[in-house]
Amino acid sequence: MPELIKSTYRDQAASLSGTLAGLDSLRDKAIDRFAETGFPTARDENWRYSDIKRLRGQAFAAAQIQSDARIPDAICTTAARLVIINGHFDQERSDFGDLLQAISVRPLANHLMANSERANELRVGREATSVLNTALMRDGLVLVVPAGVEIDDPIEIIHIMHDAENAAAQVRHLVELGEGAKATILERFIGDDSAYWMNSVVQARVAEGAALNHYRMQMDGSQAIHTANAAVSVGAGGNYSACNVSLGASLARFDAQVRLLVDGANATIDGVALAASRQSHDMLVHVDHRMPSTNSDQVFRTVADALGKSSFQGKITVADGAQQTLADQSFKALLLDRTAEANAKPELEIFADDVKCSHGATIGELDAKAMFYLMSRGIDPTTARQMLVEAFTDDALARIDNAAIADALRNQIKGWMMAHVPNTSGKDAA
Amino acid sequence: MLTVRDLRVSVENKEIIKGLSLEVKPGEVHAIMGLNGAGKSTLANTIAGRDDYEMTAGSIEFDGKDISELEPHERVGEGLFLGFQYPVEIPGVSNLNFMRTALNSVRRYRGEEDMSAAEFMKLVRTKAAELKMDLEMLKRFVNVGFSGGEKKRNEMVQMAVLNPKLAVLDETDSGLDIDALKVVADGINAQRKNDTAILLITHYQRLLNYVQPDVVHVMIDGKIIKSGGKELAAELEEKGYADVA
Repeated sequence: MPELIKSTYRDQAASLSGTLAGLDSLRDKAIDRFAETGFPTARDENWRYSDIKRLRGQAFAAAQIQSDARIPDAICTTAARLVIINGHFDQERSDFGDLLQAISVRPLANHLMANSERANELRVGREATSVLNTALMRDGLVLVVPAGVEIDDPIEIIHIMHDAENAAAQVRHLVELGEGAKATILERFIGDDSAYWMNSVVQARVAEGAALNHYRMQMDGSQAIHTANAAVSVGAGGNYSACNVSLGASLARFDAQVRLLVDGANATIDGVALAASRQSHDMLVHVDHRMPSTNSDQVFRTVADALGKSSFQGKITVADGAQQTLADQSFKALLLDRTAEANAKPELEIFADDVKCSHGATIGELDAKAMFYLMSRGIDPTTARQMLVEAFTDDALARIDNAAIADALRNQIKGWMMAHVPNTSGKDAA
Repeated sequence: MLTVRDLRVSVENKEIIKGLSLEVKPGEVHAIMGLNGAGKSTLANTIAGRDDYEMTAGSIEFDGKDISELEPHERVGEGLFLGFQYPVEIPGVSNLNFMRTALNSVRRYRGEEDMSAAEFMKLVRTKAAELKMDLEMLKRFVNVGFSGGEKKRNEMVQMAVLNPKLAVLDETDSGLDIDALKVVADGINAQRKNDTAILLITHYQRLLNYVQPDVVHVMIDGKIIKSGGKELAAELEEKGYADVA
């Protein structure tokens, strides 16, 4: 990797010195680490399916504040709509609703200003993208839901990238749920056709008996790179439930690291990725069962059209002594064309002997028998294909407990099918 | 209604139907009987337009129209129905959604308006009740977790909802106990009252105890070698295919 790229990012980190209280030493540590490792290559196991030539080949500038981006309509009733444009929180254009009466929502800068010690809670991260995010983070939101507080409607965080050619947004959000608290975060990502990089890290802490739903709707622009990391820890009887729907960007990665730290902690991590021509969607999950009686379940469904690629790497680790762990993982990929690609790499590391862990991965085409059955009832091949793809992806949406969000995601999937499943005859389908 | 002339069909370059002709008039019930491998299912699938069945010669006319170049769904629009020997399970697609999409697809093909959800539900309720199908089963995924008999019952409900001009029923009676067999027979007989012509493809005579065919054909090695009245079925049962042939 060219030294110029490393030195550019070092300069960017240096220019941010003093902007976030208490963060400078963490930034220094992160930029040093990044300088050592640089971006990974395909030889790095976690990156083997991601083509990150563009990240390795150029330094992205810091995306600038923009105020003329259009804010998309809401897809459901929300508790608040928080707007982030080019990685900068736009308070003016955000709608807090009545949320501030119940929970605390602050920009990262204010959060650290109030107590710079809290910078220690920020993670450097493992992957190069997360490490660089730590070195270059400028803004983000800190949501603290106090113990016992339940927020029914989703809190929407809308990330918009606008006029950001060769520029990057480095966003860091922190979410904390106190004991018994409940909240739903809906993250949306949209952008124009500029060749930008959206790099996001979400750190979440789910305390005892708390429940966090984390839904992501990734519809970044067609030239974009989208990399995201969710680092989540779950306490006793707590629950983290995520669903990542990935449609946009030319290269998209969602990397979830979930640690089940105390007895009875649960996590479900689901996802759908739809890869059109020359798009690559990677989903990586690592669920770490540290203590006994922890449960996790993953359902991932991906669809790849001609020259599209979808990849899944799912790792489950069960620590020594984490007995009565239940862990399940299901990955299925549907290839709509012979030039489509899917990769699956399930990985189980189990150091306890009284556990139930399972995984399944299949890669296939649309079922010709089912296609003919639908057509033999008068349904045209295009509709038949759409029905089968929707049925296929629906598996991964089943746990979304907000009907409006689930419907909106289904509509996006339907729209994608309309655009990418051409009006072919049944003869091609079979 | 259906005129098949000198039909030859190959599957994976192997000729299965070897010059078959057949004429079914409106409202008639024809039974095609024959041993496994005679080409009965190939005939049914070819009429329905399955694409791995290659017509190498002959013609299929339906209601005065050559349908051999039509796609399967277009043939349904013209008024054809294929009942499956092994109805397919489709996880994730509800029976009701499936049937409503099917019915409205057919209506659109015919230039008719979609049926409203309320009207559709009324129609399905009536048909399901007639065929003793539990409405709860219709809310489930298509054929998923259905017993063999329930799947066939489901086929009958679909047929009733689509109300075809001609139904080709491919071994719909196979693997059924006597109660399920009666349900299928009831479905066929009810459809018969609507003037639907029926082409019953079967291995055994027993369905014909409940459905009286107008014509019985004996099919051996890709050809119809003998046709006659319903007494031919009894003769087959008694003497076996070798002697009748």
